[in-house]
Amino acid sequence: MANAASTAAGTAAPRPTLHKVTPKRDRAASYAFLMPTVLLILGLSVFPLLFSFALVFLSWDLSRLEGGIRFAGLQNFVTLFNDTRFWNTARVTVIFVLASVTLQYFLGLALALLLNQDIKGRRFFRVAFLIPMMLTPAAVGYVGRMLFNESQGPINDLLQRVGLPNIPWLSNPTMALPSLILLDTWEWVPFMIIVLLAGLQALPPEVFESARVDGAGEWYIFRHITFPMLAPVSITVIVIRALEAFKLFDIVMVMTGGGPGTATETVTMYAYTVGMKNGNLGYASALAYSLLVMVIIFTTLFINTTRRAAQAED
Amino acid sequence: MQLTMRQTHSIKQVITYSLLVLWTLICLFPIYWVVITSIKLPIAVFQGPKYIPWVDFQPTLNAWNFLLTGPTSAAVYRSWINSFILATTSSAIAVLLGGMAGYGLTRFHYHWPILNWRNNDIAFYVISQRMLPAVVVIIPYLIMFRVLSLIDTHQGMILAYTVFNMPFAVWIMRDFFQGLPVDLEESALIDGANRFQAFRHIVLPLAAPGFIATFLFCLVFTWNDYLFSLMLTFSRASTLPMFIAGEGTQSYGPQWWYLSALSLLSIAPMILITLFVERYITRGLVVGAIK
Repeated sequence: MANAASTAAGTAAPRPTLHKVTPKRDRAASYAFLMPTVLLILGLSVFPLLFSFALVFLSWDLSRLEGGIRFAGLQNFVTLFNDTRFWNTARVTVIFVLASVTLQYFLGLALALLLNQDIKGRRFFRVAFLIPMMLTPAAVGYVGRMLFNESQGPINDLLQRVGLPNIPWLSNPTMALPSLILLDTWEWVPFMIIVLLAGLQALPPEVFESARVDGAGEWYIFRHITFPMLAPVSITVIVIRALEAFKLFDIVMVMTGGGPGTATETVTMYAYTVGMKNGNLGYASALAYSLLVMVIIFTTLFINTTRRAAQAED
Repeated sequence: MQLTMRQTHSIKQVITYSLLVLWTLICLFPIYWVVITSIKLPIAVFQGPKYIPWVDFQPTLNAWNFLLTGPTSAAVYRSWINSFILATTSSAIAVLLGGMAGYGLTRFHYHWPILNWRNNDIAFYVISQRMLPAVVVIIPYLIMFRVLSLIDTHQGMILAYTVFNMPFAVWIMRDFFQGLPVDLEESALIDGANRFQAFRHIVLPLAAPGFIATFLFCLVFTWNDYLFSLMLTFSRASTLPMFIAGEGTQSYGPQWWYLSALSLLSIAPMILITLFVERYITRGLVVGAIK
């Protein structure tokens, strides 16, 4: 995760400054500006994070606020390790992240490239393309349920009209996850389009002009100039989207409720069930922390791999 | 047959526009579907897909009537108003405090000796909180909010959402202040204004577009949130997404016409924001992601 930040922070522009060192008369003011934020985050983000870590070693039954707390050592980890339901949620979450982020990236890149031409009505397209990601995910979950509805929904109707068989989108355990991935892709491709388009527009035009003068074809330009130059932005959007996708909760709660069975249950959903419905806060924290570990592993692996690939390219 | 350059160009144009229009349809059709489902009678839903009002089915405002005047209407209004209050208040606080921190980070030099942190480390400390899966902090919130009696209160939710939005607000505002010239503030300071006066009278007006963009951004996040509301509220302070999600789990099966109308209550304000201030949203997104 530290790597992600250095990629993100590395591009920051040099800031205008009044003085090299904050002058004495501004000392108090400088802290008055900064500290409310720092303290709020310390109290309500860093402290809960540590609190959560402490909970991992406890058995805390929420239904009995007094007397329900007991030191459990590594018991929660043992339970986690042997919990097949947890491993299933981990598998669902990882498949979901890999498939949906990949799909979103390539669709987003293709559409950003299309928009990055001299076209009429670009503003119209930009607004239309932005809309899905602005919509309330809980409501989007219903939209998905209606569209994928097997007998009343328009998607199967369309498939039937072009002579394809009906697909049991939501009732079949193997199809429910792909349906969810498609819905999430619909909602989040906009993010990819907008940021990648901004990245494309920030590339220096001279490079492309000289490549064209040298007679390079479109594909060659894309493969050897555009794509490599866009890599830092690509890595950033993929990491941001993946971080969000790991947390998947709202659309899946509404669209499939984790079902059929537990075919689409994610780690966050399971932690919610364990923590809220069963009131087992220690184990819920262990689940939440396992998600954090997954996120860190993924981010580190992804950034190291892409960095190595970029070096090999050079 | 050899195509001339002009012909290849126009073929490319046709393909480009076809693909763009196709994606536009994909983006907008689901919204169209919710709108028409909200004006269908149950029978028009159950008979299989019907696409065009007045042609395929007879539209009706029954679902809307039920939603806005029926037995659940009080709960609908309450959740809508809760969502509105929580989203606007927490976004305003997050933007103001986050903006101040962003300003501080671009105008002063901080150095925390024990941690050996300087401005960039502090900025990273702030933004890194946004990368945490929310569920990790929500479980302790459950306990903390119980102890402080903040469960299911507006104050508690505003606090939670403010902290949730703050990293992003600091990040965007910091970038914004980096682009603002310091000369005006400097001359105000030389003229004897103190730092807060300079911030209030010079910086705030200049930074208004940045504040608006960040505010809208936080507003969308908060308005759309479901997890915090589900975990930390149950009735008095519960929000629209929570109400929406709860309405689909009725024992008599989902009533699509009603759920569609209800979903539109939550979706429509977001569509309006997109239509009118797309520029701000885009800017916030790009700064948040790339910078």
